Amino acid sequence: MKRIKVYQKLTVVFFSMVFTGILAGTANADVAGGQKIFEAKECGACHLTKGPNQDKTFEDKLKRKGPDLWFAGSKFKKEWLVKWLQDPKPIRQMAYNSIEKKNPGDHSKLSGKEAGDMTDYLMTLTSKDVVAGTIKAKKDLMGKMVFEKKQGCYGCHSSMRGAKVAGGLTGPSLVDVGKRLQGDWIYAYLKNPQAIIPVKRMPTYAGVLNDSEMKSVASYVASF
Amino acid sequence: MKKGIISGVIIIVLAICFVLQGQGFGASPGENYKWYCAQCHGLNGKGDGPNATKEQPVTPRDHTDTKGMSKLTDADIENVIRDGGKATGKSTMMPPWGKTMTDAEIKELVKYLRQLCKC
Ligand code: HEC
Ligand code: HEC
Ligand code: HEC
Repeated sequence: MKRIKVYQKLTVVFFSMVFTGILAGTANADVAGGQKIFEAKECGACHLTKGPNQDKTFEDKLKRKGPDLWFAGSKFKKEWLVKWLQDPKPIRQMAYNSIEKKNPGDHSKLSGKEAGDMTDYLMTLTSKDVVAGTIKAKKDLMGKMVFEKKQGCYGCHSSMRGAKVAGGLTGPSLVDVGKRLQGDWIYAYLKNPQAIIPVKRMPTYAGVLNDSEMKSVASYVASF
Repeated sequence: MKKGIISGVIIIVLAICFVLQGQGFGASPGENYKWYCAQCHGLNGKGDGPNATKEQPVTPRDHTDTKGMSKLTDADIENVIRDGGKATGKSTMMPPWGKTMTDAEIKELVKYLRQLCKC
């Protein structure tokens, strides 16, 4: 009887130690820490963190060396971000802003701890133009029509066609994009590209597609 | 005073016209071609941009093909740039650019294509 009690106590002590360990770990992964690493590693040399983007010409855009992160918290899925920062596999098949060179796939890597802090920091950067909770990922039939027939999104974006990857190379790859992007951001970008990515090689679809088509294609893409 | 109001109204009307059509970036037709069209049609217009992968359902038109391009009227070209492939009964893989560029820029691009095809 006594022995069992001792075991019980030991188990409680053990689990509370594990628990405080986890807590301490998450408390370390903090926003200020992430911001410090961002500055120390000069991520800002290539990424914009204070929006909105004020680019007015192609030259302005060509001066940028990496995609904007000022809306990162509205754009990315947190679970994807923390993994990608540790293992940055190419997203764009072409080098950033280029239609001639391939992506060298040489993005800097972070350790697990750094990636956790960085994710916490980047997820605080949001855009007021992205309204959370509007788009649910689903295999939307109208969205599929827009993507493949009414418009040709595949012209510049690759995605899964059955078991194969097919499509163009100048837009970011949309393979598994549902794990990477929030549907609400996709919709906001289609609806008002000026507020999200003012200068881009992608056509403006607002005014070409109606609102429900934009919502549908955002849901469909988010289901990839 | 009156003049001020009139020019104010003119500016507003012009601004509205500008917003209603595509928003251009004040680029030359050559720059617009390089930025938007070359990703599919190639920097020299031969239909060999990076998006012209072999899995694509259609090949982007070779804009240097004098014979093929001369079959299109200026209005055809303008419509296909503004509204995409469906405007001339072609594939929608050719996107619509009417909300991306101004009408004036699209008209300039038509002339630019005529130089490319020498037709
Ligand atoms: C030399 C320029 C450069 C530096 C420095 C840099 N990046 Fe990047 N970053 C890029 C490029 C280019 C891409 C696009 C990569 C791709 O598409 O595969 C990218 C992509 C990203 C993305 C995904 C964004 C998206 O829209 O797809 C994140 C997040 C990111 N970087 C975070 C960071 C962080 C954090 C740091 C600092 C530790 C950093 N980057 C440093 C150039 C840079
Ligand atoms: C002419 C080429 C082209 C076409 C056609 C095109 N896109 Fe894009 N798309 C791009 C490019 C280039 C970008 C990157 C924009 C930037 O960051 O400058 C992009 C970005 C995106 C993004 C954001 C991806 C990311 O990771 O940042 C989404 C989502 C997207 N496009 C969806 C679509 C949909 C939906 C359609 C069809 C209705 C479409 N695209 C048609 C070229 C294209
Ligand atoms: C996403 C790839 C893509 C982009 C970007 C693109 N095109 Fe096309 N374009 C095509 C394809 C594919 C065709 C052939 C369609 C067919 O044969 O059904 C085509 C056809 C055309 C045609 C011939 C239409 C006809 O009736 O034969 C013209 C003219 C044209 N494009 C002009 C342009 C211009 C100008 C731009 C830039 C503003 C541009 N395209 C951008 C893919 C593209």
